[in-house]
Amino acid sequence: MTAALLTLADSRLPAGGHTHSGGVEQAIAAGYVTDPRSLAAFLLRRLQTAGSVAAGLAAAGARPDADLALLDAEADARTPSPALQAASRQQGRGLVRVGRRAWPSPVWDALPRAPHHPVAMGVAASAGGLSPRDAAAAAAYLSISGPATAAQRLLAMDPLTVAAVTARLSPEVDAVAARAADEAAAGRLPADTDPLLDLLAEVHTVRSDRYFAS
Amino acid sequence: MITRVEVVARLGPGGRTVLPVVRASGQLAVRRTGPASVHLVATAFGPLGGDDAEIRLVVEEGARLGVHSVAAAVALPARQGGAPSVQRVHATVAGTLVLAPEPTVVAARAHHRAELTAELAAGATLAATDHVLLGRSGEEPGRWTGTTRVEQAGRPLLHTTVALGPGAPGWLPPVAPRAWAATVSVGARLPVATGQDAVRLPLEGGWSATAWGSELHRVVQALEALGGAGEEVA
Repeated sequence: MTAALLTLADSRLPAGGHTHSGGVEQAIAAGYVTDPRSLAAFLLRRLQTAGSVAAGLAAAGARPDADLALLDAEADARTPSPALQAASRQQGRGLVRVGRRAWPSPVWDALPRAPHHPVAMGVAASAGGLSPRDAAAAAAYLSISGPATAAQRLLAMDPLTVAAVTARLSPEVDAVAARAADEAAAGRLPADTDPLLDLLAEVHTVRSDRYFAS
Repeated sequence: MITRVEVVARLGPGGRTVLPVVRASGQLAVRRTGPASVHLVATAFGPLGGDDAEIRLVVEEGARLGVHSVAAAVALPARQGGAPSVQRVHATVAGTLVLAPEPTVVAARAHHRAELTAELAAGATLAATDHVLLGRSGEEPGRWTGTTRVEQAGRPLLHTTVALGPGAPGWLPPVAPRAWAATVSVGARLPVATGQDAVRLPLEGGWSATAWGSELHRVVQALEALGGAGEEVA
């Protein structure tokens, strides 16, 4: 592991992730997330579905033989919700903007315009000298860290409690990242989905009173 | 037990569909129930854990095929070990395919894997529906894992894996439904629609819809309210 991985997974990296709640804002509105316990359950289901797909795409995108346009199409097929597609491409564009400056490399040029976030994550990892497994770890971790922070802000939760909820999911984050990297090495991409997240995202995107972009 | 089914639908004289290949071995028999439709008939209890079924469907250009089943399938656990029962449907479609089987009920301790891989030519149409109920009446839920991959002209349109039941990722209280229904349709695009525990999402030239809840008949109604059903061709 190198400091590049810490930078990539750092919420202070200005890639625009802080404007997204990963469905948490709508999950709170719908009453699914009310306290640390229900937040942990929500984060776990997000990690094992959307997080697993993101980790797989990131690992595949970090491989030297990656066909990035193909991966972007596979990301689309795994993200049928237009709201989630838009959120992913918005964050992908943000990551490309900062990543190009942080880790200049010709691999950025192979990305489609406004790529899916995990595909851009793979390229950022590769440009930063990281492994596919590192890319998967960053993607899996970010699939819950941003949403956890969003919940903390929206519910005015104790930051120590939320940090503990996130930290206790570390074994699951590692397991998701390891499996995703193995799958990517075998030429497969996880496709785990949770239609609850699709529904929350589509209900959320038409609200006029939302704090977060997704 | 190994089950193999193969059906080929071809455009015949006068624009009618003919079925030059209708073949089955193992736990399923195939009955022609219309000029362009077949029903799958289970010839044994199950599937049981460890059973492997593969259904290959080919619908050539201009042809239509409807695939139904006569009764709900009850997936039962393996007698020994925890192997899942597996059913793979592989469809190559240049015409129109409707897959509308009766529900799959997954008994307690059973795990059923359903895979649909559909390779569509440009202009092909598809409607495939899954109805799933976890556990028989008064019984603990079983596990169901469904993977759907639809490609058109070599491009992936949809690739999702839904896992339901105890221990499945994404199946956690408070949203851990016993009943589930989903449709994927390619032919005409429909926009986003949302309902109570139901969502329809657009695909390029199509849509997919999902509904979930505690009772299958209500879930199916919710799916139909999203425009999901009634598209019978045969």
